[in-house]
Amino acid sequence: MNFILRRLGFYALAAWVSITLNFFLPRMMPGDPGDAVMARMQGRVQPETIDAMRKAYGLSDDPLWQQYFDYLGNLMRGEFGIAISAFPTPVTDIIRTSFFWTLLLGLTATIVAFLIGNLLGIIGAWRRGGLVDSVMPPLLIFVGSFPYFWLALLALFFMGFEWGWFPLRHAYSSNISPSWSLEFVGSVAYHLVLPAASLVVVAIGGWVLGMRNTMISTLSEDYVMMAEAKGLPQRRVMFNYAARNALLPNLTAFGMQLGFILGGALLTEVVFSYPGLGYQLLGAVRNLDYPLMQGIFLIITFSVLGANLVMDLLYVRLDPRVRGA
Amino acid sequence: MSSTISTVESAGPTGDELVQQEHSRAGRIFRSGLLGLILANRKATIGASILLIFILVGAFAPAIAPYDPDEFVARPHQAPSLDHWFGTTGSGEDVFSQTVWGTRISLGTGLIVGVAVTVIGALVGMTAGYFRGRIDDVLSLVTNVFLIIPSLPLLVVLAAFLPAGFWTIVLVLTVTSWAYGARVLRSQTLSLREKDYVSSAVVSGESSFRIIFAEILPNMLSIVVAGMFGAVTYAIGAQAGLEFLGLGNPSSTSWGTNLYWAQNNAGLLTGAWWTFVPAGLCIAFVAFSMSMINYAIDEVTNPRLRSQRDTNTLLRTSNRKLGKSRATPVLRPTSGD
Amino acid sequence: MTTHSYEQLARDFREGHIDRRELMKRATALGMSATALGWILIHGHVPATLAAQEGTPAATVSDRLMTVSSEQASTWTRNFNPLLPEGSSNRWPTIDGIYERLFIYTQINAEIVPWLATEWSFNEDNTVLTFKTRENVLWSDGTPFTANDVAYTFNIFMENEAIPGNGGAVIAPFLESIEATDDTTVVFTFLQPYTIGLYDIGGQMIVPQHIFSEAGDLVTFTNENPVATGPFTEVVRFEPQIWELHRNPNYWQEGKPHFQGLHIPAYPTNDAVNLATINGENDWAANFIPDIEQTYVAQDPEHFHYWFPATGADVHLYLNTTVAPFDNVDVRKAISMAINRDQIVEIAMYGYTHPADTTGLSDAFETIKDEEAANAGWATYDVDAANEMLDAAGLAMDGDVRVMEDGTPLEFELNVVSGWSDWVQACEIMSQNLSDIGMRVTVQPYEQATWQTNVQNGDFTMSIGWSSQGATVFNFYRGVMSSTTWREIGESAGENWHRFQLEETDTLLDQFAATSDPAEQQAIAVELQRLYAEHAPAIPLFPGPQWGQYNTMRFEGFPNEENPYALLSTYSDEALLVLNTVTAKE
Repeated sequence: MNFILRRLGFYALAAWVSITLNFFLPRMMPGDPGDAVMARMQGRVQPETIDAMRKAYGLSDDPLWQQYFDYLGNLMRGEFGIAISAFPTPVTDIIRTSFFWTLLLGLTATIVAFLIGNLLGIIGAWRRGGLVDSVMPPLLIFVGSFPYFWLALLALFFMGFEWGWFPLRHAYSSNISPSWSLEFVGSVAYHLVLPAASLVVVAIGGWVLGMRNTMISTLSEDYVMMAEAKGLPQRRVMFNYAARNALLPNLTAFGMQLGFILGGALLTEVVFSYPGLGYQLLGAVRNLDYPLMQGIFLIITFSVLGANLVMDLLYVRLDPRVRGA
Repeated sequence: MSSTISTVESAGPTGDELVQQEHSRAGRIFRSGLLGLILANRKATIGASILLIFILVGAFAPAIAPYDPDEFVARPHQAPSLDHWFGTTGSGEDVFSQTVWGTRISLGTGLIVGVAVTVIGALVGMTAGYFRGRIDDVLSLVTNVFLIIPSLPLLVVLAAFLPAGFWTIVLVLTVTSWAYGARVLRSQTLSLREKDYVSSAVVSGESSFRIIFAEILPNMLSIVVAGMFGAVTYAIGAQAGLEFLGLGNPSSTSWGTNLYWAQNNAGLLTGAWWTFVPAGLCIAFVAFSMSMINYAIDEVTNPRLRSQRDTNTLLRTSNRKLGKSRATPVLRPTSGD
Repeated sequence: MTTHSYEQLARDFREGHIDRRELMKRATALGMSATALGWILIHGHVPATLAAQEGTPAATVSDRLMTVSSEQASTWTRNFNPLLPEGSSNRWPTIDGIYERLFIYTQINAEIVPWLATEWSFNEDNTVLTFKTRENVLWSDGTPFTANDVAYTFNIFMENEAIPGNGGAVIAPFLESIEATDDTTVVFTFLQPYTIGLYDIGGQMIVPQHIFSEAGDLVTFTNENPVATGPFTEVVRFEPQIWELHRNPNYWQEGKPHFQGLHIPAYPTNDAVNLATINGENDWAANFIPDIEQTYVAQDPEHFHYWFPATGADVHLYLNTTVAPFDNVDVRKAISMAINRDQIVEIAMYGYTHPADTTGLSDAFETIKDEEAANAGWATYDVDAANEMLDAAGLAMDGDVRVMEDGTPLEFELNVVSGWSDWVQACEIMSQNLSDIGMRVTVQPYEQATWQTNVQNGDFTMSIGWSSQGATVFNFYRGVMSSTTWREIGESAGENWHRFQLEETDTLLDQFAATSDPAEQQAIAVELQRLYAEHAPAIPLFPGPQWGQYNTMRFEGFPNEENPYALLSTYSDEALLVLNTVTAKE
């Protein structure tokens, strides 16, 4: 219990640092959201109009520290404020619509990469020097070396635009509206293929190598030898004895990974016009939309903290030693 | 660094567990010479050669590049030819020259960030691990906080808010990526500190500074170096990503800005694939070379991995294949350790 | 059965008011064919052809939806408040599409098209402006539109200075009162003669009093279901990545618009828009497409067209005139002559525009340009002459860079927004050009808000930027060389970033604003042009092209060079004319 409390204390501190950074960083930059609108309109709006717009935004003139405490207070009450770039839509509305898509894309890509990667790693280690083992690692390392947005761009251009195999944008077809129909779910899945694949392709190599290496270590453990000696079926030895144990360190990494899902696919979302959080964040930064920026940052930080906390709890369950610490 | 890469580039396992294995053995091997490793291991040879080529290209860019990278030398979007090996950009610059010059900023950023991240990580991590107690508490806290702040969004925010330029990118990437190395090195130091040779050094009254850098550091050099290569890869990729988003300085020449311009000049839509491909391939090759070196370090560190080729050789000489029903045997090195 | 009931049914289904089974039941009751039903199930709307066959179509109105891209966003937020400036956070076409103005000024023809007002006139001393509003105009909910709505609209700005509008907040400080004297007459009383305020009044969207007076805080009013006078008012579908706007059932122009509605997908970036446009998905878009002949037109020369008239405000190079040696007019002119505008136009702008002349005015003012002012010579590329002028100005060469008398070398940063690639490219070309006259200029990109703040506060030495442009030359010259827009360094200036003022300008502008006689205004406009040509307060580079692409696969009647009835740009005031003219193809 003590351990958990200490971790919670640490997370609270980390959250505070993150929130504070995110409050002060953007405000250190010259300019305000009015300037951003002015720049975006490139002179199509008269300066007097922008002055009125600034008043409408209700930007505070209070000293920065006071704004900071107001901001903390508002957060405590769950108030994220109004997104200036989508004035006067509440920040929570914007995050709500984007959150799901980012989560879907990130989760799908991470899980698929994890499953395929580990499977290949297991097979590679099991058949050392076999086809999978000799071809896969260097190939995957090479593919994984490409910048993921570069692969995404090429995939979009060729498979989307030139050959028309996949949609060019969005999370579902604009002919249908969200519902739980088979058609809609199918459309979502179809739109997910390219963005997710471009993430999976570069991520997979790491899992393969990691799994292969731990698996090789595990294979020489006595209990694996024992299982083999007993004449258990190969498949069983491979998965139930060796892989099961080799998987543990990778699971930890997987947990860490889950936390980074929300912030991770920014460029992919941009390339595929996927309506997720990443692009919203970029837009918020460009438009100096402090509240939206803070809101998104907060959600991402909390998801990282949440994933870490879950891992901690699991850790306590799996390793009794830490409980006493 | 790897933890932050994994947010973007790879979802691979990055747990400390993997690197922690058999560290001291690797340390000794390392002391026998990086060059030895590179020559002895085929993967390392490949990796190091590619890297060396790029470093040379960057160093001698003015001599290699036929044109000034910003000079308008021909019609826009000319396909590769004898005059322009990689064709021309949408505004008529020489893509080959731009690629060559781009090596400087891209690789330069990568190497500087790699070194900076490693130095900061080592200083913080080793200090925390060696002194323990209060110092460790404070440093670990700082490290962990930096680890948990999502780096990619922070990267975007920082890059947007500082004036665009080379050092901004270096600073931003360093700030967001030193923490992982610090954590790994701290746990390494913690365990190495318990070794006899460290205890005896402490007893014989050597200074903490000397113990850390002369006794402990050499024994985890493999991890430090691996971490550095990881950071270099990450930095090059992240820089390219930021520049592609327009958060860098588009008027400088790097692989990232080359991609930015290729995109903004509709390189793909006009069929000018040559504006896209070179920069992407260069980034991939550099990252590949780093991975190969790291792969090699892994093999050296973990003898079970290293034995693969020996196994193959054994199999070949005995002229038989391992039955499909047999798990791979692991050959333990007989000499030395 | 009518098309309308089919469409209503399709809409109910699309919006989830009825489920699949209910749709089939009602469709059978209406006697709809299986084909039409299938189409609705898949597409969510009635197909144009089937509707024409099976229903009794209302005149020539097509059921087709036009796919348009005007603004870029990753997700849409529902806001149709016409009191916010265009492009801030209200959806296109809230301004000039859903809502309408009193009259439309067409930049392309320099003509005024009466709209919600039919006629207007100033009194003798130009202090009272009287509008006659159009009769028989209905709001989309059926309520009649009257002069009271107009008076109400402008009084909003008199009472609350935090409401920006599109001209309302600009004109309010010049007005004493706005009053509707009867159902079709509105009287604007000015504090002093300010005739060019006519265009600010004309720019403001008119809102329905019976809705807005009940709406509460008009700044945060999102107006989700707009009641308006424009051709398109019915928001039938609104999702984060797509929304649809259908025609106004009570539109005052008989038979218009000629098609059912607009289909507006969210494209987050230029690239996403262009990809869709090139793929033939967008019927109408207004975007910068690089190398458009090759990337767009060549894909389908029969249907894919563009038109980029150079009528946008001149893009300028601004030199901070409070910084030596930019306070010297000869230095400014020399710099201007060292810039290879042809190269900039060809390389950075893909030849979409042409070099600027020495009036600083774009093609929108072609007819009123003064020959003498336009040919002052300092916008002509001539490096030798530029070097001579700098020698004469006492800026001697020291190695490959010129130095000022105190020995400071001419080394400057040229500011630009990092994301605006065409301007970045233009800056790089200028940086190279200027090295030929011994200036070391480094291009320094900033994020847009930072760049904006820096130029406004005068915290820069060189920067590229746009200029102001209105219906008359007044706005431009006021912005570039008058004391009205001039501010101290460190104080925020919305225009006149380079800090330049002339007393003569102020006098001329005052005269200009005090008269409503076009001939008199033209005479003053010539004076202003000559003043600009003499002093070179800023360095004009090229007139801004007005972007616009269209696809005639499904729709026709877009404006182009042969038929320039309006600008093709979705974001222009004239977009409403396009919406009302375009027809669906058979």
